[in-house]
Amino acid sequence: MKIFQQSTEFDYSWEEVSISNWRKYGPWNEKTPHVIAVDTLSRTVDTVTGILRTERLITCKQSAPKWVTTILGGADTSLVYETSYVDPAAKKVTLCSMNMTLSDLISVRETCIYTPASSAPNAKTVFSQRAEITALCGGWQKIKNSIEQFTVERFQQNAMKGKEGFEMVLEMSRKAFAEQRELLRLQQDSPILREAKI
Amino acid sequence: MSASLASECNEVKEKYDNCFLRWYSESFLRGTATTDECKPLFDQYEKCLKKALKDRGIDNMIKEARDDNMENDAEHMKPRR
Repeated sequence: MKIFQQSTEFDYSWEEVSISNWRKYGPWNEKTPHVIAVDTLSRTVDTVTGILRTERLITCKQSAPKWVTTILGGADTSLVYETSYVDPAAKKVTLCSMNMTLSDLISVRETCIYTPASSAPNAKTVFSQRAEITALCGGWQKIKNSIEQFTVERFQQNAMKGKEGFEMVLEMSRKAFAEQRELLRLQQDSPILREAKI
Repeated sequence: MSASLASECNEVKEKYDNCFLRWYSESFLRGTATTDECKPLFDQYEKCLKKALKDRGIDNMIKEARDDNMENDAEHMKPRR
């Protein structure tokens, strides 16, 4: 098993980050073209804890290099199963994901957490990410090691892109909210716009 | 928001996603959520999606993933003391 771990900070409040998280793989993010689809399988609010639990299915374009798909078998797309937990009282978003494709051969389990930064709880958010990668396929240890190592390296490469992409979404989201607020303000000030009901 | 893996579900998915996002930012985060006003849209989307998942044989893979995910639910859904 190999472990990938990192954490980073966003200059946005936890509320903004937690809202934008739902738009992370949308058209505002130009850095994740490999994510083809994101479907919601179920969504419930727990009556005891107030935690919002969401189950999603994420469809990605297969991006493993030839030598990996030759060993593990090829497919055009790969599927990821994700459950997320939003605790609005504790201000914590937890996302847990695992691979569904090739799961007999490799296990990739990732946990990501968004919480307010202790240095500036109302303005900054910490993102921490941890992934455990285990090659399960029988055969030479050397091949298992290579597959695990490749996957960890891919996580490292994607971590930077992931942050850049999410920054784009956060910026667009803040602009959209500001425009919406401005429109509401104008509407309240102007009888003509009120009539128009934009 | 993102597309659905089944293009025939895209239209209803988009409506549901927009409804959810509004509910999340305006009710849920503010602690004022009472009823789930997006449920009728979710039901429509789910009906479309379920069929697509079954047709593609993905429904069984999801069942397996759910079984593997029990620990995460136990860990992240537990009440705070």
